[in-house]
Amino acid sequence: MSNGSGLESLVDQTISVITNDGRNIVGLLKGFDQATNIILDESHERVYSTKEGVQQLVLGLYIIRGDNVSIVGELDEELDSHLDMSKLRAHPLKPVIH
Amino acid sequence: MLPLSLLKTAQGHPMLVELKSGETYNGHLVNCDTWMNIHLREVICTSKDGDRFWRMPDCYIRGILLSIFGSQMSLAKSDIDVLHKVIDKVQEESKTRADRKPPGVGRGRGRGREEGGGARQVKGIGRGGDDAGGRGMGGGRGRGTSSGRTGSSRGGRGRG
Repeated sequence: MSNGSGLESLVDQTISVITNDGRNIVGLLKGFDQATNIILDESHERVYSTKEGVQQLVLGLYIIRGDNVSIVGELDEELDSHLDMSKLRAHPLKPVIH
Repeated sequence: MLPLSLLKTAQGHPMLVELKSGETYNGHLVNCDTWMNIHLREVICTSKDGDRFWRMPDCYIRGILLSIFGSQMSLAKSDIDVLHKVIDKVQEESKTRADRKPPGVGRGRGRGREEGGGARQVKGIGRGGDDAGGRGMGGGRGRGTSSGRTGSSRGGRGRG
């Protein structure tokens, strides 16, 4: 791949990032580099729990260091807007074990 | 936009930095380099569980230890002020109890005297060392030189 991590096509789109410690951060991809360091704008963290609905914590403009990124995924905003977060129940992800 | 360029642009601004170990550092970004090593000033460090706080005038963190940067302070300015007051209070209390305390428990933090010199740079998270017990002055032993980068009249605030 000539453009490194191939995130170029996702720039200015909403992405979902799973970090090594099992957090899910959703935001607009504003930039990235060869180390998969990621700039996320208007980001929020989604905190999953089996007891209550998904909590969304507003984070704002964030840089996530590439070391700490497990998964970067495209987010379908259309589909996402139809989700009722308060009714979603899920186990929180476990951290990556090296 | 490259993440490192953004970081460079954020110099002089308050930011939140999270380490891989879970501690967070709130402070003003003074400088950063291409390894993401960063120099923060007027820092409040929060433990992973969020119930212990340390304040230091300066700190330098290796980029490889970092996980996340936030441009927003996690707390509003007013909260930070409250936090400063709480820390001051706790420090005063621990100073008065310092004689009874075993070394390490008091963590040896305290306000340095106004000695006019530059404060010694404090790196990382000090563990309450052996000399932490009865010495209220903590690590902020001004060296009386003007070479310290903090070079301020604040004197040394820090820890032993």
